[in-house]
Amino acid sequence: MTSQILPLELVDKCVGSKIWVVMKSEKEFSGTLVGFDDYVNMVLEDVTEYDAGEQIKLKKILLNGNNICMLIPGGFGQEGA
Amino acid sequence: MADTENGTSAVAEPLDLVRLSLDEVVFVKLRGDRELRGRLHAYDSHCNLVLGEVEETIYVVDEDDDDTIRTVKKNSEMLFVRGDSVVIIATTT
Amino acid sequence: MADAPGEAAPTSSSKDPSSFLSEIHGAPITVKLNSGVEYKGELQSVDGYMNIALENTEEYVNGERKNRYGDVFIRGNNVLYISADK
Repeated sequence: MTSQILPLELVDKCVGSKIWVVMKSEKEFSGTLVGFDDYVNMVLEDVTEYDAGEQIKLKKILLNGNNICMLIPGGFGQEGA
Repeated sequence: MADTENGTSAVAEPLDLVRLSLDEVVFVKLRGDRELRGRLHAYDSHCNLVLGEVEETIYVVDEDDDDTIRTVKKNSEMLFVRGDSVVIIATTT
Repeated sequence: MADAPGEAAPTSSSKDPSSFLSEIHGAPITVKLNSGVEYKGELQSVDGYMNIALENTEEYVNGERKNRYGDVFIRGNNVLYISADK
């Protein structure tokens, strides 16, 4: 019972480490999670944006939480996809 | 805090930019490949707009002609735009 | 604001969205919309809806510059991300 963890607590544990973000559309981001707010808008650093086989490098972004589907702690996911 | 009255030129919040464009001709990009150019008479926090002397440009794919992009122009004396279809509002200089 | 516990050690000067925004105030940024269209300009202001005011703005469609605007207001619901240009 006491081991219940809130979803946002899990996100908070990811601050400072690599995270994989899957959007509602066919788009994904990976990067270091710098911070976030209650809407799960996220500040990410050293970001790679994956879209239709294309990879775009970004230094630092504020990602709108509105279109996020899923967060995966760690930088893994679709290496080389 | 944001300036609340007309006449101040500071952009403390994004909608101040729209306030400063009142009575000016603005360019508005809408969802669905539509653009408007007209005089901004009124707006609110949802970006509902009232524009006068409006020229509307619609971009359509012409399937009969090798999918080329065709533009359709329409003119209106005055029109209301529902805020949720607004993408950008730009000043024209 | 989702509050980080006191001992959380941010690796950077900004640890949440609002401090990132104050960090890039007045700086050149890129705003990418869900449609894929990008706007590059200097950030004038942002609000809680992620509505954005940009100055000296260039519009890029498929990586090509399509338009220049003086001032642009971007409605927040269209925004995918705001990126600091470095």
